[in-house]
Amino acid sequence: MYEMRTGIARQRFNKKESTIAYVLLFPAIAFLIVFMFYPVVNVIVMSFFKVDMLGRFKAFIGIGNYQLLFGNVKFWEILIRTVVWTVVGVLVKTVVGMIYALLLNVKFKGRKIARTLLIIPWAAPVPISAILFQWVYNYDFGLLNHTLKLIGISNPPLWLAYTKTAFIAALYVDIWIGIPFMAVVFLAGLQAIPDELYDAGAIDGAGVFNKFRYITIPLIRPVLIVATLLSALWTFNDFSVIWILTRGGPIDTTDILITWIYKNYFVYYKPAIAAAAGTVTFVILLVFSLLYARFYFKEE
Amino acid sequence: MRKGLNLKMIIYIILAVMLAISLFPFLVTLITSLKDVSEVYTSPPTWIPVKPTFKNYREVFERYPMARYFLNSFIIAIGATLLNAAFSIPAAYATARLRFRGKKFFMYLLLMVQMFSPIIIIIALFRQMSIFGLLNSYLGLILVNAVFTLTFSIWMLSAYFLNVPFELEEAAMIDGCNRFQAIVKILIPLAMPGLTATMIYTFINAWNEFVFALTFTTTPEMRPLTVGLYSFVGRWSIQWQYITTASILGIVPIVLLFMLVEKQLMSGLMGGAIKG
Repeated sequence: MYEMRTGIARQRFNKKESTIAYVLLFPAIAFLIVFMFYPVVNVIVMSFFKVDMLGRFKAFIGIGNYQLLFGNVKFWEILIRTVVWTVVGVLVKTVVGMIYALLLNVKFKGRKIARTLLIIPWAAPVPISAILFQWVYNYDFGLLNHTLKLIGISNPPLWLAYTKTAFIAALYVDIWIGIPFMAVVFLAGLQAIPDELYDAGAIDGAGVFNKFRYITIPLIRPVLIVATLLSALWTFNDFSVIWILTRGGPIDTTDILITWIYKNYFVYYKPAIAAAAGTVTFVILLVFSLLYARFYFKEE
Repeated sequence: MRKGLNLKMIIYIILAVMLAISLFPFLVTLITSLKDVSEVYTSPPTWIPVKPTFKNYREVFERYPMARYFLNSFIIAIGATLLNAAFSIPAAYATARLRFRGKKFFMYLLLMVQMFSPIIIIIALFRQMSIFGLLNSYLGLILVNAVFTLTFSIWMLSAYFLNVPFELEEAAMIDGCNRFQAIVKILIPLAMPGLTATMIYTFINAWNEFVFALTFTTTPEMRPLTVGLYSFVGRWSIQWQYITTASILGIVPIVLLFMLVEKQLMSGLMGGAIKG
C-alpha cells in the first residue's frame, strides 16, 4: 500500500533515503522512548521490586508484589467492576449511538443542526463536564433532582454519596461523553451504504428489521468493530470522570483499575502495588491494542 | 405521504427528547451562570433566572485567578502544539515519502503506543519529573502533552502527506529545489488543511488534559483551567455560579474549535474503516 502510494519506483531501501528517514524519525522516536517506553519498562521492573514510599527501588522480590495484589480481595472486586464499567459503558454507547445514527440517517429538515448539537458533549472538555455534573447531581439545588421530582419521583437519591448510585452516576457521565463519537461514526458508516441495496431488499420483501439485520449490520461491521474497540480503550482508561465525581469513593467502591492504581501510588503510598496493578493493566491494554491494530490494518 | 409525515414527526420527537437529555448539563450550567448567588442556592431551584445577570462573568475574574488559569492552559496547549508539530512533521514526512526498513513496524508501533494508559506512564514519570525539576513548570506539562499526542499526529499527518501527489515535489526538486525546499514550498502549503486540523486537535487535547496537570502541578499559580476548576470543587463553600461561568468560558471556544476539525479527526481515528 505504502509502496504504491509513495510514487515512483526505486530500488528497495535506497541507502541514502533510509538514512534521511532515520534522521527525520529520530527526534520523535527519542521522545517516545524517554517519555513512554522508558516509563512503561520502569513500571514493569518496579513491579518485581520492593520499593519505598517514594518509589525508590530497594530489593528484588520476584513475584512478591503480585502475590500481594492477587491475594487482595479488593483487587478482584475492582477488576470485576472495571469489566462491568467497560462492558456496560461500551454496550450502551453502541446501542444509543446506533439509534442516533439511524435517526439522523433519515433526510429531514434540521438534520445538520441536530448533528451539531449531538456532538457537543464529545467536543466539550471532559474534566469540565465532569465538574459540571457534580452540580447537576447536587441534592438540594441541582436541577436533576428537581426535574425528577416534577416527573413524579418524589425521593431522588443523594447521587454521589452512596456506592450504587455513585457508580451509576459516574458511568452515566462516561456514557454521555462517549455516545456522540459512536453516533457520528455509525452515521458515516450508514451513509456509505448505497440506497440500491435497500431497494433491492425491499423488492425481495425484506421488512425494516430484516433490512437492518442483513444489509446494514454486515456492511457497517468494520466500522462497528474499530469503533467499539476504540471506545472500549477509552472507557477502560477514563480516569477523570470517576476521579472528579467520586475520587473512587465512598471507600474505593467506585474505583476502576485506573483510578485505583493512581490512588495506590499517590494517596496510599504503595508504589509497588500500583506498579504491579499497572503492569496487569498494561497487559490487558496491549491485548486490546493488538486486536485494534490487526483490525485497523486489515480494513485498510 | 401521510405515513412519511408521521414517521418524520416521530423522529423529531425522539431526537428532541434525546438531545434535551444530552444537553441538559450544559443548559443547567448556562442557566446557573446567569443567576445571582442568592438564586443559585434556593431550593427548589428555578429553571429561568428571575433576574438574569452577567455579573458572574466579571466577578469570576476578580475573585479567582481565572485569568491565570486561562493563561496557563493557553501556554501549555500552544507549547505542546508547536513541539508536537516540530517532531511529528519530519516523522510523518519520513513515513509518507521515504522507504526504509522497519516502516511497517514503526506504523504499527504508533497505533499501539496510542493505547498506553497515561496513569501507568505517570507513576514512573512522576519521580523523573521531580528529579529533573519539571514539576510545577510549563515545560514539564508541555513535554508530556506533546508526547501524548505525538503518535496520533504522526499518523494523521502521514495520511495527509500521502494525499499530496509526490510528483509535484519531484518536479520542484528537478527544477533545483533541495528536499527541504520542496517540503517547505510545496508539501506543507498543500497539506495545510490537514496540518491545521492536526495542530488544532493537539491544542484541544492539551487544553482538556487533566491527570498530568493534576499530578505535575502542586502550586495554584501553575494550574491550567481544568485542574484550577477542579480545585474549587470539594471545598466546603463551592461557588457554583462562578464555576459554571468559568466552565462556559472554557467550553465554548473548545467546542467551536472541535467542530472545525471533527470530520478530519474521525477519518484519522477510523482509518480504512471509514471513507471520510
